[in-house]
Amino acid sequence: MDANSIISSLTGKFPEDIYDASVESDIRIVAKVKPENVVEVCRYLKEDLSFGHLCCELGADYPDRNEIETVYIIGSYDHPVVITMKALLPRDNPEIESIVAVYWNANWYERETYEMYGVKYLNHPDLKPLLLPEELHGEWPWRKDYKGFPNKTARNLV
Amino acid sequence: MDKTVGPSEMILQIGPQHPMLFGPWRLNVKLRGETVVDSEIEMGYIHKGIEKILENKTYLQGITIMDRICYLEAMTNEEVYVGCVEKLAGIEVPERAQYIRVIIEELSRIQSHLLAMGEYAEFVGFVTMFMYTIRDREDLMSLIDSLTGARVTHSFLRYGGVKDDLPDGFKEDAKYVFGNLRKAVDKYEELFSTDSIYKARTKGVGVLTADVAKDLGVCGPPLRATGFAFDVRKDEPYLVYKDLDFKVCTHTDGDVYARVQVRLDEMRESMHIVEQCLDQIPNGPIFPENTPYGKRSPVMRVPPGEVFHRVEAPRGEMGMYMVSDGSDKPYRVKVRGPVYPTLQTLPPLIKGVQVADIVAIAGSMDTCTSEVDR
Repeated sequence: MDANSIISSLTGKFPEDIYDASVESDIRIVAKVKPENVVEVCRYLKEDLSFGHLCCELGADYPDRNEIETVYIIGSYDHPVVITMKALLPRDNPEIESIVAVYWNANWYERETYEMYGVKYLNHPDLKPLLLPEELHGEWPWRKDYKGFPNKTARNLV
Repeated sequence: MDKTVGPSEMILQIGPQHPMLFGPWRLNVKLRGETVVDSEIEMGYIHKGIEKILENKTYLQGITIMDRICYLEAMTNEEVYVGCVEKLAGIEVPERAQYIRVIIEELSRIQSHLLAMGEYAEFVGFVTMFMYTIRDREDLMSLIDSLTGARVTHSFLRYGGVKDDLPDGFKEDAKYVFGNLRKAVDKYEELFSTDSIYKARTKGVGVLTADVAKDLGVCGPPLRATGFAFDVRKDEPYLVYKDLDFKVCTHTDGDVYARVQVRLDEMRESMHIVEQCLDQIPNGPIFPENTPYGKRSPVMRVPPGEVFHRVEAPRGEMGMYMVSDGSDKPYRVKVRGPVYPTLQTLPPLIKGVQVADIVAIAGSMDTCTSEVDR
Protein backbone atom coordinates (compact mmCIF):
# COMPACT_ATOMS: atom_id res chain seq x y z
CA MET A 1 0.00 0.00 0.00
CA ASP A 2 1.51 3.34 -0.94
CA ALA A 3 0.92 6.82 0.38
CA ASN A 4 -1.37 8.00 -2.43
CA SER A 5 -3.76 5.08 -2.20
CA ILE A 6 -3.92 5.47 1.57
CA ILE A 7 -4.86 9.13 1.25
CA SER A 8 -7.53 8.48 -1.36
CA SER A 9 -8.98 5.66 0.72
CA LEU A 10 -9.04 7.83 3.83
CA THR A 11 -10.57 10.90 2.21
CA GLY A 12 -13.04 8.72 0.32
CA LYS A 13 -14.27 7.14 3.54
CA PHE A 14 -14.32 10.37 5.60
CA PRO A 15 -14.87 13.26 3.15
CA GLU A 16 -16.23 15.49 5.94
CA ASP A 17 -13.77 14.70 8.69
CA ILE A 18 -10.38 14.59 6.96
CA TYR A 19 -9.11 17.82 5.43
CA ASP A 20 -5.76 19.31 4.33
CA ALA A 21 -4.48 15.82 3.58
CA SER A 22 -1.26 15.66 1.60
CA VAL A 23 1.67 13.40 0.82
CA GLU A 24 4.97 14.72 2.13
CA SER A 25 7.14 11.90 0.83
CA ASP A 26 6.77 8.21 -0.05
CA ILE A 27 6.53 7.29 3.59
CA ARG A 28 4.96 10.34 5.25
CA ILE A 29 1.37 11.59 5.13
CA VAL A 30 -0.03 14.60 6.95
CA ALA A 31 -3.72 15.24 7.50
CA LYS A 32 -6.06 17.13 9.78
CA VAL A 33 -9.07 15.56 11.39
CA LYS A 34 -12.24 16.98 12.93
CA PRO A 35 -12.05 16.33 16.69
CA GLU A 36 -15.57 14.85 16.88
CA ASN A 37 -14.79 11.80 14.79
CA VAL A 38 -11.20 11.02 15.71
CA VAL A 39 -12.06 7.61 17.17
CA GLU A 40 -13.83 6.39 14.03
CA VAL A 41 -10.96 7.61 11.86
CA CYS A 42 -8.41 5.88 14.09
CA ARG A 43 -10.41 2.67 14.05
CA TYR A 44 -10.59 2.76 10.26
CA LEU A 45 -6.85 3.42 10.07
CA LYS A 46 -6.11 0.48 12.33
CA GLU A 47 -8.54 -2.08 10.98
CA ASP A 48 -8.70 -1.32 7.26
CA LEU A 49 -5.43 0.43 6.43
CA SER A 50 -3.26 -1.64 8.84
CA PHE A 51 -1.93 1.33 10.80
CA GLY A 52 -1.49 -0.80 13.89
CA HIS A 53 1.37 0.97 15.58
CA LEU A 54 0.77 4.22 17.47
CA CYS A 55 4.21 5.86 17.46
CA CYS A 56 3.12 8.66 19.73
CA GLU A 57 0.47 11.15 20.61
CA LEU A 58 1.32 14.65 21.73
CA GLY A 59 0.08 18.15 22.26
CA ALA A 60 1.41 21.40 20.84
CA ASP A 61 0.42 24.90 21.84
CA TYR A 62 -0.13 27.74 19.35
CA PRO A 63 -1.22 30.83 21.30
CA ASP A 64 -1.20 33.12 18.23
CA ARG A 65 -3.87 30.94 16.57
CA ASN A 66 -5.52 30.33 19.96
CA GLU A 67 -5.38 26.61 19.35
CA ILE A 68 -3.95 23.50 20.90
CA GLU A 69 -3.12 20.68 18.53
CA THR A 70 -3.34 17.02 19.43
CA VAL A 71 -1.05 15.19 17.06
CA TYR A 72 -1.38 11.47 16.39
CA ILE A 73 1.60 9.84 14.76
CA ILE A 74 0.62 6.40 13.59
CA GLY A 75 2.84 3.90 11.84
CA SER A 76 2.35 0.41 10.58
CA TYR A 77 3.95 -3.00 10.92
CA ASP A 78 3.04 -3.96 7.35
CA HIS A 79 3.96 -0.94 5.24
CA PRO A 80 6.45 1.88 5.79
CA VAL A 81 4.00 4.80 5.70
CA VAL A 82 3.61 6.96 8.81
CA ILE A 83 0.64 9.30 9.11
CA THR A 84 0.76 12.52 11.14
CA MET A 85 -2.80 13.45 11.97
CA LYS A 86 -3.79 16.58 13.83
CA ALA A 87 -6.91 17.64 15.61
CA LEU A 88 -7.23 21.37 16.34
CA LEU A 89 -8.83 22.25 19.66
CA PRO A 90 -9.81 25.62 21.11
CA ARG A 91 -7.30 26.80 23.66
CA ASP A 92 -9.73 27.83 26.39
CA ASN A 93 -11.53 24.49 26.57
CA PRO A 94 -9.65 21.68 24.81
CA GLU A 95 -11.66 18.48 24.85
CA ILE A 96 -11.39 15.44 22.64
CA GLU A 97 -12.46 11.82 22.68
CA SER A 98 -9.81 9.40 23.96
CA ILE A 99 -8.45 6.79 21.55
CA VAL A 100 -7.39 4.29 24.22
CA ALA A 101 -10.17 1.98 23.07
CA VAL A 102 -8.44 1.71 19.70
CA TYR A 103 -4.76 2.05 20.59
CA TRP A 104 -4.04 0.64 24.01
CA ASN A 105 -0.70 2.42 24.49
CA ALA A 106 -2.28 5.87 24.00
CA ASN A 107 -3.08 5.71 27.71
CA TRP A 108 0.11 7.30 29.04
CA TYR A 109 0.47 9.68 26.10
CA GLU A 110 -2.96 11.10 26.83
CA ARG A 111 -2.28 11.36 30.55
CA GLU A 112 0.91 13.29 29.77
CA THR A 113 -0.79 15.61 27.30
CA TYR A 114 -3.52 16.21 29.86
CA GLU A 115 -1.18 17.26 32.65
CA MET A 116 1.11 19.33 30.41
CA TYR A 117 -1.45 21.07 28.18
CA GLY A 118 -4.78 20.60 29.90
CA VAL A 119 -6.36 18.65 27.05
CA LYS A 120 -9.30 16.73 28.50
CA TYR A 121 -9.69 13.25 27.04
CA LEU A 122 -13.24 12.08 27.31
CA ASN A 123 -13.87 8.43 28.18
CA HIS A 124 -10.24 7.86 29.14
CA PRO A 125 -10.02 4.93 31.59
CA ASP A 126 -7.89 6.72 34.17
CA LEU A 127 -7.17 10.36 33.37
CA LYS A 128 -4.78 11.60 36.07
CA PRO A 129 -1.30 13.17 36.04
CA LEU A 130 1.53 10.85 35.07
CA LEU A 131 4.77 12.75 35.64
CA LEU A 132 4.02 15.93 37.54
CA PRO A 133 3.55 16.29 41.30
CA GLU A 134 0.12 17.21 42.62
CA GLU A 135 0.91 20.85 43.33
CA LEU A 136 1.59 21.52 39.65
CA HIS A 137 -1.74 20.14 38.54
CA GLY A 138 -3.76 22.75 36.71
CA GLU A 139 -0.77 24.91 35.77
CA TRP A 140 -0.42 23.30 32.29
CA PRO A 141 3.34 23.93 32.30
CA TRP A 142 4.14 23.14 28.66
CA ARG A 143 1.85 25.79 27.27
CA LYS A 144 3.80 28.60 25.67
CA ASP A 145 2.51 31.32 28.00
CA TYR A 146 3.57 29.49 31.16
CA LYS A 147 5.96 31.71 33.07
CA GLY A 148 7.53 29.18 35.42
CA PHE A 149 6.47 28.51 38.96
CA PRO A 150 7.44 31.68 40.79
CA ASN A 151 5.84 30.75 44.09
CA LYS A 152 6.85 27.13 44.07
CA THR A 153 10.62 27.17 43.74
CA ALA A 154 12.91 26.49 46.66
CA ARG A 155 14.26 30.04 46.54
CA ASN A 156 10.92 31.52 47.44
CA LEU A 157 10.25 29.07 50.18
CA VAL A 158 13.38 30.00 52.14
CA MET B 1 -5.91 -0.22 40.66
CA ASP B 2 -8.55 -0.74 43.28
CA LYS B 3 -6.87 -0.09 46.63
CA THR B 4 -9.32 -2.10 48.74
CA VAL B 5 -7.89 -5.40 49.87
CA GLY B 6 -9.85 -8.57 50.51
CA PRO B 7 -9.03 -11.39 52.92
CA SER B 8 -5.46 -12.73 52.54
CA GLU B 9 -4.60 -9.87 50.19
CA MET B 10 -2.06 -7.10 50.68
CA ILE B 11 -0.59 -4.19 48.74
CA LEU B 12 3.19 -4.27 48.35
CA GLN B 13 4.91 -1.07 47.32
CA ILE B 14 8.12 -1.68 45.40
CA GLY B 15 10.17 1.46 45.02
CA PRO B 16 10.85 4.31 44.35
CA GLN B 17 14.23 3.07 45.56
CA HIS B 18 14.76 -0.65 45.28
CA PRO B 19 17.66 -2.81 44.05
CA MET B 20 15.45 -4.29 41.37
CA LEU B 21 14.52 -0.96 39.84
CA PHE B 22 16.70 0.78 37.28
CA GLY B 23 16.07 4.36 38.30
CA PRO B 24 13.34 5.62 40.57
CA TRP B 25 9.80 4.52 39.86
CA ARG B 26 7.19 2.81 41.91
CA LEU B 27 5.29 -0.36 41.38
CA ASN B 28 2.30 -0.97 43.61
CA VAL B 29 1.27 -4.61 43.48
CA LYS B 30 -1.75 -6.19 45.07
CA LEU B 31 -0.93 -9.71 46.19
CA ARG B 32 -3.00 -12.69 47.15
CA GLY B 33 -0.46 -14.88 48.87
CA GLU B 34 2.50 -14.78 46.48
CA THR B 35 0.45 -14.17 43.37
CA VAL B 36 -0.01 -10.76 41.74
CA VAL B 37 -3.67 -9.83 41.44
CA ASP B 38 -3.33 -6.29 40.16
CA SER B 39 -0.63 -3.67 39.81
CA GLU B 40 -0.06 -0.03 39.06
CA ILE B 41 2.96 2.03 38.04
CA GLU B 42 3.77 5.49 39.35
CA MET B 43 6.20 7.55 37.31
CA GLY B 44 7.63 11.04 37.52
CA TYR B 45 10.36 10.79 40.13
CA ILE B 46 13.03 12.09 37.75
CA HIS B 47 10.98 14.21 35.39
CA LYS B 48 13.40 16.78 33.98
CA GLY B 49 11.22 18.51 31.41
CA ILE B 50 13.72 17.88 28.63
CA GLU B 51 11.23 18.67 25.88
CA LYS B 52 10.56 22.09 27.40
CA ILE B 53 14.29 22.65 27.95
CA LEU B 54 14.94 21.89 24.28
CA GLU B 55 12.42 24.56 23.27
CA ASN B 56 14.61 27.10 25.06
CA LYS B 57 18.00 25.97 23.78
CA THR B 58 19.56 26.67 20.40
CA TYR B 59 19.96 23.79 18.02
CA LEU B 60 23.64 23.33 18.86
CA GLN B 61 22.96 23.30 22.60
CA GLY B 62 20.19 20.78 22.05
CA ILE B 63 22.65 18.04 21.06
CA THR B 64 24.14 18.11 24.55
CA ILE B 65 20.71 17.95 26.19
CA MET B 66 19.67 14.95 24.08
CA ASP B 67 22.53 12.91 25.53
CA ARG B 68 21.07 13.32 28.99
CA ILE B 69 17.78 11.60 28.22
CA CYS B 70 19.43 8.25 28.81
CA TYR B 71 23.15 7.75 28.89
CA LEU B 72 23.02 4.25 27.44
CA GLU B 73 21.27 5.45 24.33
CA ALA B 74 23.15 8.73 24.06
CA MET B 75 24.31 8.20 20.48
CA THR B 76 20.94 7.23 19.03
CA ASN B 77 19.29 10.07 20.92
CA GLU B 78 21.67 12.48 19.24
CA GLU B 79 21.09 10.81 15.91
CA VAL B 80 17.33 11.29 16.04
CA TYR B 81 17.64 14.97 17.00
CA VAL B 82 20.30 15.72 14.43
CA GLY B 83 18.41 13.70 11.82
CA CYS B 84 15.27 15.79 12.38
CA VAL B 85 17.13 19.05 11.87
CA GLU B 86 18.94 17.69 8.81
CA LYS B 87 15.62 16.68 7.28
CA LEU B 88 14.09 20.09 8.01
CA ALA B 89 17.07 22.05 6.73
CA GLY B 90 17.84 19.69 3.84
CA ILE B 91 21.45 19.05 4.86
CA GLU B 92 23.25 16.21 3.08
CA VAL B 93 25.63 14.18 5.20
CA PRO B 94 28.88 13.08 3.48
CA GLU B 95 29.26 9.35 3.14
CA ARG B 96 32.27 9.03 5.42
CA ALA B 97 30.43 10.82 8.20
CA GLN B 98 27.46 8.49 7.76
CA TYR B 99 29.72 5.47 8.15
CA ILE B 100 31.31 6.93 11.29
CA ARG B 101 27.83 7.51 12.71
CA VAL B 102 26.82 3.92 12.05
CA ILE B 103 30.04 2.67 13.68
CA ILE B 104 29.57 4.67 16.86
CA GLU B 105 25.86 3.90 17.09
CA GLU B 106 26.40 0.18 16.75
CA LEU B 107 29.21 0.28 19.33
CA SER B 108 26.86 2.03 21.69
CA ARG B 109 24.18 -0.58 21.00
CA ILE B 110 26.60 -3.32 22.10
CA GLN B 111 27.55 -1.55 25.32
CA SER B 112 23.89 -0.88 26.12
CA HIS B 113 23.01 -4.55 25.63
CA LEU B 114 25.96 -5.61 27.76
CA LEU B 115 24.90 -3.45 30.67
CA ALA B 116 21.26 -4.42 30.25
CA MET B 117 22.14 -8.09 30.34
CA GLY B 118 24.37 -7.68 33.37
CA GLU B 119 21.67 -5.84 35.31
CA TYR B 120 19.07 -8.33 34.31
CA ALA B 121 21.26 -11.28 35.34
CA GLU B 122 21.71 -9.61 38.69
CA PHE B 123 17.94 -9.32 39.11
CA VAL B 124 17.44 -13.03 38.59
CA GLY B 125 20.15 -13.83 41.12
CA PHE B 126 23.13 -14.29 38.82
CA VAL B 127 25.37 -11.60 40.31
CA THR B 128 28.65 -12.90 38.90
CA MET B 129 27.33 -12.29 35.41
CA PHE B 130 27.11 -8.57 36.14
CA MET B 131 30.84 -8.53 36.91
CA TYR B 132 31.60 -10.35 33.66
CA THR B 133 29.61 -8.00 31.46
CA ILE B 134 30.93 -4.87 33.15
CA ARG B 135 34.49 -6.11 32.72
CA ASP B 136 34.00 -6.87 29.03
CA ARG B 137 32.14 -3.62 28.49
CA GLU B 138 35.13 -1.64 29.71
CA ASP B 139 37.23 -2.33 26.58
CA LEU B 140 34.33 -1.22 24.46
CA MET B 141 33.95 1.98 26.46
CA SER B 142 37.63 2.75 25.87
CA LEU B 143 37.06 2.23 22.14
CA ILE B 144 34.11 4.63 22.19
CA ASP B 145 36.16 7.04 24.28
CA SER B 146 38.99 6.99 21.74
CA LEU B 147 36.58 8.10 19.01
CA THR B 148 34.26 10.54 20.77
CA GLY B 149 36.39 11.74 23.67
CA ALA B 150 33.77 10.80 26.25
CA ARG B 151 32.52 7.60 27.78
CA VAL B 152 28.83 8.21 28.18
CA THR B 153 27.63 11.66 27.14
CA HIS B 154 29.38 12.15 23.84
CA SER B 155 27.97 15.28 22.09
CA PHE B 156 29.63 13.83 19.03
CA LEU B 157 27.27 14.48 16.14
CA ARG B 158 27.01 17.77 14.29
CA TYR B 159 24.48 18.98 11.73
CA GLY B 160 25.75 17.46 8.52
CA GLY B 161 28.60 15.45 9.97
CA VAL B 162 30.51 14.36 13.02
CA LYS B 163 32.88 16.12 15.37
CA ASP B 164 36.01 14.12 14.66
CA ASP B 165 37.37 11.59 12.22
CA LEU B 166 38.34 8.06 13.24
CA PRO B 167 41.60 8.06 15.27
CA ASP B 168 44.71 6.27 14.00
CA GLY B 169 44.67 2.55 14.60
CA PHE B 170 40.95 2.45 15.31
CA LYS B 171 40.41 -0.53 13.03
CA GLU B 172 43.07 -2.62 14.77
CA ASP B 173 41.73 -1.65 18.19
CA ALA B 174 38.22 -2.60 17.16
CA LYS B 175 39.44 -5.95 15.82
CA TYR B 176 41.17 -6.69 19.12
CA VAL B 177 38.15 -5.69 21.23
CA PHE B 178 35.72 -7.66 19.07
CA GLY B 179 37.92 -10.75 19.21
CA ASN B 180 37.62 -10.77 22.98
CA LEU B 181 33.98 -9.77 22.94
CA ARG B 182 32.94 -12.56 20.56
CA LYS B 183 34.44 -15.10 22.94
CA ALA B 184 32.69 -13.38 25.85
CA VAL B 185 29.30 -13.43 24.13
CA ASP B 186 29.72 -17.12 23.36
CA LYS B 187 30.54 -17.70 27.00
CA TYR B 188 27.46 -15.82 28.19
CA GLU B 189 25.29 -17.85 25.88
CA GLU B 190 26.80 -21.05 27.20
CA LEU B 191 26.30 -19.91 30.80
CA PHE B 192 22.67 -19.01 30.14
CA SER B 193 21.84 -22.14 28.19
CA THR B 194 23.46 -24.64 30.57
CA ASP B 195 22.27 -23.29 33.91
CA SER B 196 19.18 -25.28 34.82
CA ILE B 197 18.09 -22.98 37.65
CA TYR B 198 18.32 -19.97 35.37
CA LYS B 199 16.30 -21.74 32.67
CA ALA B 200 13.66 -22.77 35.17
CA ARG B 201 13.28 -19.14 36.21
CA THR B 202 13.10 -17.68 32.71
CA LYS B 203 11.65 -20.17 30.22
CA GLY B 204 7.93 -19.70 29.77
CA VAL B 205 7.87 -16.67 32.09
CA GLY B 206 6.32 -13.39 30.96
CA VAL B 207 5.27 -14.69 27.56
CA LEU B 208 4.17 -12.18 24.94
CA THR B 209 2.77 -13.34 21.64
CA ALA B 210 3.40 -11.30 18.51
CA ASP B 211 -0.21 -10.16 18.19
CA VAL B 212 -0.46 -9.05 21.81
CA ALA B 213 2.92 -7.32 21.64
CA LYS B 214 1.90 -5.39 18.54
CA ASP B 215 -1.40 -4.47 20.11
CA LEU B 216 0.30 -3.18 23.24
CA GLY B 217 2.81 -1.16 21.20
CA VAL B 218 5.93 -2.98 22.39
CA CYS B 219 8.99 -2.39 20.24
CA GLY B 220 12.65 -3.36 20.09
CA PRO B 221 14.08 -6.63 21.43
CA PRO B 222 10.90 -7.60 23.37
CA LEU B 223 8.92 -7.42 20.11
CA ARG B 224 11.57 -9.24 18.09
CA ALA B 225 11.67 -11.97 20.73
CA THR B 226 8.09 -12.82 19.78
CA GLY B 227 9.20 -13.69 16.26
CA PHE B 228 8.09 -10.49 14.55
CA ALA B 229 10.99 -8.83 12.71
CA PHE B 230 10.39 -5.11 13.11
CA ASP B 231 13.52 -3.01 12.99
CA VAL B 232 13.65 0.63 11.87
CA ARG B 233 17.10 0.01 10.38
CA LYS B 234 15.47 -2.37 7.88
CA ASP B 235 11.96 -0.99 7.56
CA GLU B 236 12.83 2.68 7.27
CA PRO B 237 16.58 2.77 6.56
CA TYR B 238 18.49 5.86 7.59
CA LEU B 239 22.22 6.61 7.17
CA VAL B 240 23.90 3.83 5.17
CA TYR B 241 22.03 0.88 6.65
CA LYS B 242 20.54 -0.04 3.30
CA ASP B 243 24.04 -0.72 1.93
CA LEU B 244 25.01 -2.97 4.81
CA ASP B 245 24.44 -6.68 5.14
CA PHE B 246 22.82 -7.59 8.44
CA LYS B 247 19.83 -9.55 9.59
CA VAL B 248 17.14 -8.70 12.10
CA CYS B 249 17.55 -11.07 15.05
CA THR B 250 14.36 -12.76 16.16
CA HIS B 251 13.34 -15.55 18.45
CA THR B 252 10.02 -17.32 18.59
CA ASP B 253 9.22 -17.95 22.23
CA GLY B 254 8.48 -14.42 23.40
CA ASP B 255 9.47 -15.18 26.99
CA VAL B 256 12.15 -13.74 29.25
CA TYR B 257 14.74 -16.19 27.98
CA ALA B 258 14.07 -15.25 24.36
CA ARG B 259 14.52 -11.53 25.01
CA VAL B 260 18.00 -12.12 26.38
CA GLN B 261 18.80 -14.40 23.47
CA VAL B 262 17.79 -11.68 21.01
CA ARG B 263 20.15 -9.23 22.70
CA LEU B 264 23.01 -11.73 22.51
CA ASP B 265 22.41 -12.22 18.79
CA GLU B 266 22.12 -8.49 18.21
CA MET B 267 25.52 -7.90 19.77
CA ARG B 268 27.09 -10.32 17.27
CA GLU B 269 25.19 -8.66 14.44
CA SER B 270 26.33 -5.19 15.54
CA MET B 271 29.95 -6.32 15.58
CA HIS B 272 29.42 -7.65 12.06
CA ILE B 273 28.03 -4.25 10.97
CA VAL B 274 30.93 -2.33 12.48
CA GLU B 275 33.46 -4.60 10.76
CA GLN B 276 31.75 -4.08 7.41
CA CYS B 277 31.77 -0.33 7.94
CA LEU B 278 35.46 -0.32 8.79
CA ASP B 279 36.18 -2.25 5.58
CA GLN B 280 33.92 -0.20 3.33
CA ILE B 281 34.39 3.29 4.73
CA PRO B 282 35.38 5.69 1.93
CA ASN B 283 37.83 8.55 2.23
CA GLY B 284 36.47 12.02 2.05
CA PRO B 285 35.24 14.90 4.16
CA ILE B 286 33.41 14.33 7.43
CA PHE B 287 31.54 17.59 7.12
CA PRO B 288 29.78 19.07 4.08
CA GLU B 289 31.78 21.81 2.42
CA ASN B 290 28.98 23.99 1.12
CA THR B 291 26.75 24.47 4.09
CA PRO B 292 25.31 27.63 5.52
CA TYR B 293 25.83 26.18 8.97
CA GLY B 294 29.37 26.09 10.30
CA LYS B 295 30.56 23.13 12.31
CA ARG B 296 30.32 25.02 15.59
CA SER B 297 28.06 27.82 14.49
CA PRO B 298 26.23 28.98 17.62
CA VAL B 299 23.37 30.50 15.65
CA MET B 300 21.60 28.37 13.12
CA ARG B 301 18.18 29.06 11.71
CA VAL B 302 16.15 26.16 10.44
CA PRO B 303 13.38 26.69 7.86
CA PRO B 304 9.85 26.42 9.25
CA GLY B 305 8.20 23.05 9.02
CA GLU B 306 7.61 19.87 10.94
CA VAL B 307 9.06 16.44 10.70
CA PHE B 308 8.85 13.01 12.30
CA HIS B 309 12.04 11.00 12.22
CA ARG B 310 12.81 7.66 13.82
CA VAL B 311 15.85 5.51 14.40
CA GLU B 312 16.49 2.15 16.02
CA ALA B 313 17.83 2.71 19.53
CA PRO B 314 19.24 -0.24 21.53
CA ARG B 315 15.87 -0.60 23.24
CA GLY B 316 13.68 -0.14 20.19
CA GLU B 317 12.13 2.54 18.07
CA MET B 318 13.24 6.05 19.02
CA GLY B 319 11.21 8.73 17.31
CA MET B 320 11.13 12.48 17.37
CA TYR B 321 8.55 14.98 16.21
CA MET B 322 9.95 18.45 15.71
CA VAL B 323 8.26 21.71 14.76
CA SER B 324 10.41 24.61 13.62
CA ASP B 325 9.12 28.16 13.31
CA GLY B 326 12.19 29.51 11.52
CA SER B 327 14.00 30.77 14.60
CA ASP B 328 17.21 29.43 16.11
CA LYS B 329 15.34 27.21 18.56
CA PRO B 330 12.87 24.41 17.92
CA TYR B 331 9.23 25.39 18.55
CA ARG B 332 8.11 21.99 19.81
CA VAL B 333 10.00 18.77 20.33
CA LYS B 334 8.45 15.45 21.27
CA VAL B 335 10.66 12.55 22.18
CA ARG B 336 9.04 9.20 21.63
CA GLY B 337 11.20 6.81 23.59
CA PRO B 338 11.05 3.05 23.14
CA VAL B 339 10.62 2.32 26.85
CA TYR B 340 7.55 4.51 27.27
CA PRO B 341 5.14 2.03 25.66
CA THR B 342 7.10 -1.00 26.88
CA LEU B 343 6.87 -0.06 30.53
CA GLN B 344 3.10 0.41 30.22
CA THR B 345 2.75 -3.27 29.39
CA LEU B 346 4.16 -4.37 32.72
CA PRO B 347 0.86 -4.41 34.71
CA PRO B 348 -0.96 -6.73 32.27
CA LEU B 349 2.17 -8.84 31.87
CA ILE B 350 2.75 -9.50 35.56
CA LYS B 351 -0.87 -10.31 36.35
CA GLY B 352 -1.03 -13.78 37.85
CA VAL B 353 2.72 -14.34 38.22
CA GLN B 354 4.68 -14.90 41.42
CA VAL B 355 6.42 -12.00 43.16
CA ALA B 356 9.89 -13.31 42.29
CA ASP B 357 9.02 -13.34 38.59
CA ILE B 358 8.18 -9.62 38.56
CA VAL B 359 11.88 -8.92 38.77
CA ALA B 360 12.75 -11.27 35.92
CA ILE B 361 10.05 -9.86 33.65
CA ALA B 362 10.78 -6.20 34.38
CA GLY B 363 14.52 -6.79 34.00
CA SER B 364 14.18 -8.52 30.66
CA MET B 365 12.29 -5.51 29.26
CA ASP B 366 15.44 -3.39 29.77
CA THR B 367 13.53 -0.32 30.87
CA CYS B 368 14.95 3.08 31.67
CA THR B 369 13.03 5.49 33.87
CA SER B 370 15.09 8.47 32.84
CA GLU B 371 13.83 8.09 29.31
CA VAL B 372 10.19 7.64 30.30
CA ASP B 373 10.18 10.69 32.56
CA ARG B 374 12.46 12.77 30.32
